[in-house]
Amino acid sequence: MSDKRNIMFEIARGLIAITIAIAVAFLLIFASSDDPASALQCLLIRPVWTSGALNTKSILTILGRTTPMIFTGLAVCVMFSANQFNLGGEGAVMAGGFVAALVGIYVPMSAGLHVVASVLIGTITGGLIMIIPAVLKVKLKASEMVSSLMLNYVVMYIVLHFLNMNFADRSKGATQTFPMESTSLIGKMVTGTELTWGFPVAIIATILVAIFMYRTRWGYTIRMIGINESFSKYSGMKVGAVLVISQVIGGALSGMGGAIEVLGRYETFRWQGLPGYGWTGLTVAILAKNNPILVPFAALFIAYLDRGCELMSIYAGVPAEMIDIIQAVIFLFFAAEQFMAKTKHKMVVKGAKEEMKQIELAKEGGDL
Amino acid sequence: MENNEYVVQMKGITKVYPNGVAANQGVDFNVRKGEIHALMGENGAGKSTLMKMLFGLEQPTEGEIFVNGEKVHLSSPNVAIAKGIGMVHQHFMLVPSLTVAENIVMGMEPKKGLFINYKEAVRLTEEFSQKYNLHVDPQAKVRDIPVGMKQKVEILKALVRGAKILILDEPTAVLTTQETEELFKELVHLKEQGYTLIFISHKLNEIKQITDRLTIVRAGKSMGVHETATTSKEEISRLMVGRDVVLTVEKDKAQPTDVVLRVSELEYTNDWKKKMLDKISFDVRKGEILGIAGVEGNGQKELVEMLFNLNIPDDGEVTVNGKNVIGVPQKDIRGYGVSLIPEDRMVFGIAGTGTIEENIMSDRCSDQKYNKGPLFNMKAMHEDSDKLIAEYKVLCKSRKQQVGMLSGGNIQKVVVAREFSAEPCLIIADQPTRGIDVGATEFIRKKLVELSREGAAVLLVSADLNEVMELSDSLMIMYNGKIAAYFEDTSVLTDSMMGEYMLGLKQQSDEEVRRVIHE
Amino acid sequence: MFETIMSMVLTSSFGFAILRITTPILFAALAAVVAEKAGVCNIGLEGIMMISSLFGVLFAYWTNSWLVGVIAAVVVGTLVAMIIAIFALKLKTDIILAGIAINLVGGGGTTFALYMFTGLKGNTAGLTTPQMLTPRINIPLIQDIPVIGEIFSGHSILTYVAFILVAVVWVMLYKTSLGLRIRAVGENSHAADSVGVSVLKTQYIALALSGALSGLGGAYMSMYYSQSWNTGIVAGRGFIALAAQAMGQGEPIGAMFASLFFGFATALSTKLEGMQGFSSYLVASIPYAVTILGLVLYAISTMKRVKKHRAKTEAK
Repeated sequence: MSDKRNIMFEIARGLIAITIAIAVAFLLIFASSDDPASALQCLLIRPVWTSGALNTKSILTILGRTTPMIFTGLAVCVMFSANQFNLGGEGAVMAGGFVAALVGIYVPMSAGLHVVASVLIGTITGGLIMIIPAVLKVKLKASEMVSSLMLNYVVMYIVLHFLNMNFADRSKGATQTFPMESTSLIGKMVTGTELTWGFPVAIIATILVAIFMYRTRWGYTIRMIGINESFSKYSGMKVGAVLVISQVIGGALSGMGGAIEVLGRYETFRWQGLPGYGWTGLTVAILAKNNPILVPFAALFIAYLDRGCELMSIYAGVPAEMIDIIQAVIFLFFAAEQFMAKTKHKMVVKGAKEEMKQIELAKEGGDL
Repeated sequence: MENNEYVVQMKGITKVYPNGVAANQGVDFNVRKGEIHALMGENGAGKSTLMKMLFGLEQPTEGEIFVNGEKVHLSSPNVAIAKGIGMVHQHFMLVPSLTVAENIVMGMEPKKGLFINYKEAVRLTEEFSQKYNLHVDPQAKVRDIPVGMKQKVEILKALVRGAKILILDEPTAVLTTQETEELFKELVHLKEQGYTLIFISHKLNEIKQITDRLTIVRAGKSMGVHETATTSKEEISRLMVGRDVVLTVEKDKAQPTDVVLRVSELEYTNDWKKKMLDKISFDVRKGEILGIAGVEGNGQKELVEMLFNLNIPDDGEVTVNGKNVIGVPQKDIRGYGVSLIPEDRMVFGIAGTGTIEENIMSDRCSDQKYNKGPLFNMKAMHEDSDKLIAEYKVLCKSRKQQVGMLSGGNIQKVVVAREFSAEPCLIIADQPTRGIDVGATEFIRKKLVELSREGAAVLLVSADLNEVMELSDSLMIMYNGKIAAYFEDTSVLTDSMMGEYMLGLKQQSDEEVRRVIHE
Repeated sequence: MFETIMSMVLTSSFGFAILRITTPILFAALAAVVAEKAGVCNIGLEGIMMISSLFGVLFAYWTNSWLVGVIAAVVVGTLVAMIIAIFALKLKTDIILAGIAINLVGGGGTTFALYMFTGLKGNTAGLTTPQMLTPRINIPLIQDIPVIGEIFSGHSILTYVAFILVAVVWVMLYKTSLGLRIRAVGENSHAADSVGVSVLKTQYIALALSGALSGLGGAYMSMYYSQSWNTGIVAGRGFIALAAQAMGQGEPIGAMFASLFFGFATALSTKLEGMQGFSSYLVASIPYAVTILGLVLYAISTMKRVKKHRAKTEAK
């Protein structure tokens, strides 16, 4: 089957998966809402179109919300490309955000430098954390999946410990840190929305990751190892080192996402648990088929649905958590290799026949 | 009506795999009741495919199968088992952590209420074990028993399920001499009790020793049925090892100079404690093609692994231009100028879902030529990939096509393009044209000769006689982990001479073999 | 300091707490063992427990019977596991991803379902009646023995079920034909295939059993341990169970000891929380950190075994 046709097929398959997910959402809405029509309207239209006009503010908020998902989505792309099922994004996001906030509060710096340093230190924190599951995998063959899952909780409790024991602002009701210096905060691109300057950074990160994965020897090596480890070893690649690097990059991207989210959306650090962006990143990466360039679009899609679900819960009383069900359904069908496999097989056979015909023609025409 | 003399009749069997490979073409195969019937042929001749169809693992594209005179449709192993056919696979189908008795009764466990009647399972195992003189320890875990006993377990598995016709797929490949002797006694014992045995092998001595009749397949076609007693080993060897179509490759006489690859006293014993390499020593010189012929499984695979650090030998040395390669990372080995066309191209040769370009660049992605600072120099990459795709005539739409979507021949051309273009001083070509079309085969062979004449040392390992005889300047034959023969000049060789060394009928003296070392 | 800890640990109430805390992890660890034996990694345990704990409590509420609730939890757990099975075995979704999807549903989908069925948001605390909670069992004779009685008697009926199930699962795996097939499929599916044992069918059954077992774990959480359902009810126990499975070398008995070990670590951390000088948060991370440590030790021992084995064969 030709590559172009293959891509068309994949797109069609993806659309059908999304359609199924939306259909499931419809069913759930009809089952749970007194006024399904308005609920649907909230889910699908209201995020962009409110009372007869384009709702710019809502659109910008959706864009803003894609920011952390883009980072964690990219992180998963890099790690999954190397065939590493590292699920430690959650912990890296939280730690990155927390450490960045601490730098923002306690290490005064000049205006431009402060925010950059905070984000960078958050990024490094995320990367360092991932060294643990990565090294355990490469050196001891311990499942990176289980160890990274456990690590999420360890990181969460350590952060909560420092938050509560050392850095809490006791004058406030809810546990949170003292406010971060204004020099460390990431400004809003448009006031009154959730769109911060973190969003363009996420887009730049996307481009950089895409370049890294497709235009540098390291990214190339990561991808080849993910496809076929034996081949990579035989070709002379340093498999162990690259597996560690891929996970450290994943951690760093997650950490950066956490830092930018905290510095951009809050004045104090106040997460009381894992923020969930790590898991959303997984859905985003699956939707994007591990292709970094598609990550912002996948994130946009999820953020849109997320916003729709939120509006639905406000105006139609349908719980916002429906987003998780929709995500799960998309996720399941997107990752299902055999979903529509019969159709694909038919296409392959047809394509092969055509190709053979072409080859015959080429042979006749050529000097063979 | 079918002839009752035969318990198995396969008539006009043709099998074409979905990828277009015709493994069998109009094969007839008849087995008499109560005989030991040998099915012989080189690797890839189609004997395994034929037996897979008899055991229901594959369905014939054309042809009919009769068992005990009744036409059958063997849609799965279960159906074959029900018809009294059992198969002892070359790779054991056993669960290591289960006991012998558990392995034997699996799928038909005797029960006592809700539970397995383990005592009954042991009793059943013992009963069959004694009846057929196949001694096993029913309570031992399979992972703890020797290979020979594992094979008995496999045979018992079939017998317990009521098999009257047993297919044994190269049963002696993993056995020591003593174990083989023991197995043969047991097989004869089974035959005496009225069982029919189909024995797949390419070991002439064994065939002569225990079989009644033999069928030879070559290149998917039957070469006829013969009485073992009245057929000489030489004749069998001639029928089995022969060339059908001879693709000739023109080449000048080699003018070998310095030694590039030196292998000395290489020894390796595999996990089954079988000695795969027994003090192998040889040299390959600049400008020559040294061929290694031999039936597969005589140590060639292990030898190649040692040359590229894909495995570590027990003892011995391997040097390339004087530099050690044992335990050296592949990147450095490649840096010494070694290229390898791996035997299994899908496992080592390519990254299937990668593009053609990505597969061509795998060994050179960090070369200065292809990098501009931290970034790839895409222009240089595109140029060189396009050049190689054109030069090696890879039939594809563009360099961006997924390599796994190409045909076998074109996949191999991609591998070859990469390996040959690395300016190697030593090329190790392991089965370089296996299973690929004639056009690609001819192309790759020509390239090999060309490169050797330009000064590369080439080590060609091939089970394809055509190939080794046509391409090699000098040639050695491996048998049982040793060098059975060395011929400085291949032009004097004939198929039958080769066959005798390949099948272990003859062995050159140490003196003669040592000529392959050039001081 | 050490003495105070010792005096806390050496009490019968501490022993009681260990068993109480171990129970849900044990259910899930057994679920992981059964699935893993059949060669499938059920990472969806977390989600299955979330979903089954919710439906357990809902059915118990609707019928005002804890027994119906427990049965419903088991049934729902099995059904959810079958969803994983269909996607992973039939549609060839990577089993890890299928499990993660179920965990997503378990995370937010349960809140949604709760609202859909009851209009409640976030927890079911208001619904709980005594009839909905699994009863405590006092074991005759044993309850009168000092210390022993205080530790072992008076638990939820499900705690006893969990420990009995360790034996049952062991017997199932090692003494029945189903178990034989499950182990064969997980270890060498070709061997199973060669004697006509259906690999897919066996894996479906193993996943179903795995779902039922984790369903019991869910029922215990919402109908005893927390006394009601809430969004954070399972809190990573499904994941810990996976680690317990690995540390217990995939065996029911081993998984039981690993679970008890986590029970111990958690019980200790809850005790330490109340003490001066211990951070409740750091202490709460102990079970998870211990899990990583356990994995590391397990991995090292496996590596050593492999090396030893190799050395042994080389010596020969």
